[in-house]
Amino acid sequence: MKAFIIALVVAVALGTLAAMLLNQQQRFAYQAFTTSGTRVSDPAGHSNLVGPHWNGVTPDPEKPSRS
Amino acid sequence: MRRTLTTFRTLVAAAILMAAFGASSGSFAQQTRDGLNPTGQNPTAESVNEDFLFKQDPKITGRISIPDGKAAHLIQPAGRDYRDFRERWLPWLSALAVLGAVALLGLFYFFRGRILMEPGPDTGRKILRFNGFERFAHWMTSSCFIILALSGLNYIFGKRLLMPLIGADAFGVVAQYAKFSHIYLAWPFMIGVALMLVLWLKDNIPNKIDIAWIKAFGGFIGNKHPSAGRFNAGQKMVFWMVIGFGTAMSVTGLMMIFPFALTDITGMQLMQVIHALIGIAFIAGILAHIYIGTLGMEGAYDAMGSGKVDLGWAKVHHDLWVEEEQAKNASGPQLGRHQVPAE
Amino acid sequence: MARMKFLCDADRCIECNACVTACKNEHEVPWGINRRRVVTLNDGKPGERSVSMACMHCTDAPCAAVCPVNCFYTTADAVVLHSKDICIGCGYCFYACPFGAPQYPKVGNFGSRGKMDKCTYCAGGPESDLSTIEYEKYGSNRLAEGKLPLCAEMCSTKALLAGDGEMIAQIYKQRVIKRGYGSGAWGWKTAYRETVAI
Repeated sequence: MKAFIIALVVAVALGTLAAMLLNQQQRFAYQAFTTSGTRVSDPAGHSNLVGPHWNGVTPDPEKPSRS
Repeated sequence: MRRTLTTFRTLVAAAILMAAFGASSGSFAQQTRDGLNPTGQNPTAESVNEDFLFKQDPKITGRISIPDGKAAHLIQPAGRDYRDFRERWLPWLSALAVLGAVALLGLFYFFRGRILMEPGPDTGRKILRFNGFERFAHWMTSSCFIILALSGLNYIFGKRLLMPLIGADAFGVVAQYAKFSHIYLAWPFMIGVALMLVLWLKDNIPNKIDIAWIKAFGGFIGNKHPSAGRFNAGQKMVFWMVIGFGTAMSVTGLMMIFPFALTDITGMQLMQVIHALIGIAFIAGILAHIYIGTLGMEGAYDAMGSGKVDLGWAKVHHDLWVEEEQAKNASGPQLGRHQVPAE
Repeated sequence: MARMKFLCDADRCIECNACVTACKNEHEVPWGINRRRVVTLNDGKPGERSVSMACMHCTDAPCAAVCPVNCFYTTADAVVLHSKDICIGCGYCFYACPFGAPQYPKVGNFGSRGKMDKCTYCAGGPESDLSTIEYEKYGSNRLAEGKLPLCAEMCSTKALLAGDGEMIAQIYKQRVIKRGYGSGAWGWKTAYRETVAI
């Protein structure tokens, strides 16, 4: 009986812990599916985004950002 | 002055444009009859169309400007197949599996009856079969399994059985909490399956004794009791079912807890199908396990209840294990090496 | 009653995303939730076409069928709507939806990703028409005001058509006959089990 009750308590505790951890890593859609700035071309890579820290200098043109 | 110049420039530009348009308008007018494209080309000759794209791939995928990869699928008719499985096949399959298992066990109980203890010289003496930690692992996994099974069946049968009884709003709340319990109690369940694997793996390796046990139908038919070690072949099957199905449920379940993390929409549908099919088989299998561990066999429940079973029962059902334990105890302390009293 | 449908004339769509913007603004949909989106096929290649896609309000909708809590219902105008009070956010409708219409406020774990949100055909939800609570949960209810969905109304090239299925099919047919080509009514076969015969 003791083992059974301990098992129930631990199961609930582990479940609660899992809930807390899972909810911590939960992100809102407005965080996950938005970018930080205006898109100037394909948004798949990060190199071609004009983010909040853009200094006005165009990135090196020799480096192709994405095939 | 400047203004006059600007006006003049505009006039000149307009005149040039008009002249240019006038020159070309003769031939232009001939082409713009109804039903004819002015450029003389058919713009759909190269354009993509649905039939063509479906021939290449079962789903039509394009490019989107939002960073949400799954939004790039324009049309995936496979959703209709998924719906067919979930609504046409799954309810019948699960009802068949669960009710079928209950019916078979009922028939077995009716014809074979309860497997009773056979009184012998050792009846009344006790031997420790599962220590406290083993029972803890078992009960943590099993209590989670029962909640998971009920909340899992709720996804299939809730709206058919429970919803008409308690109404849509109340059922929405129940289903919400059922979902929470399903997601969060999955974690202690997975830990429990892993613990049981570590605890009982060494006693569950199939061997020659199991073949003899299976050939004698495990003593279920007739009155002979084939030899068995700590676990007989039937228990080993339950063990490997729990490990195998538990792993499959964990993998597919994790994929669904983190949707689209590793797979696309087709993968997600497949995960759901596998999770549901194995889930109902798992429930049917565990029903048999619950039956034989409680109602079906006298004396068996004590193994997981108090941990101590009747020595007479143990000698009948797990003769080789008792010999092994007694050999160990003869040369050591009376309680044995890993026999920690739980109560 | 009318049988409301959407039809996107891919030969007219210029991927301006005005429909998406109109939808977001009209219903105050949060970022990251896309009730409507524009998908470009064969991007950058000859024959490129863009299609504006949202919930197609299917005949015998798969989402409604698979929902474990039966939170979907179909209005007299054949608009597929759902109740956010009953929805448990399980995500099965997204697996069943041929058009990827259902959206969830949170991504990541399936346990707590919130109530599903999708295109309402500008028809609100189960709450009383034009109430504040309806607006907060489902956005505005233009159908109750006698108007059609804003995305189609805003469309700069009139590529996106919304309204009674017979009527918009007729408009599309006339267009195709007049101009001599058309790449078809995208998604109609999957959503309505029929297509616009030309």
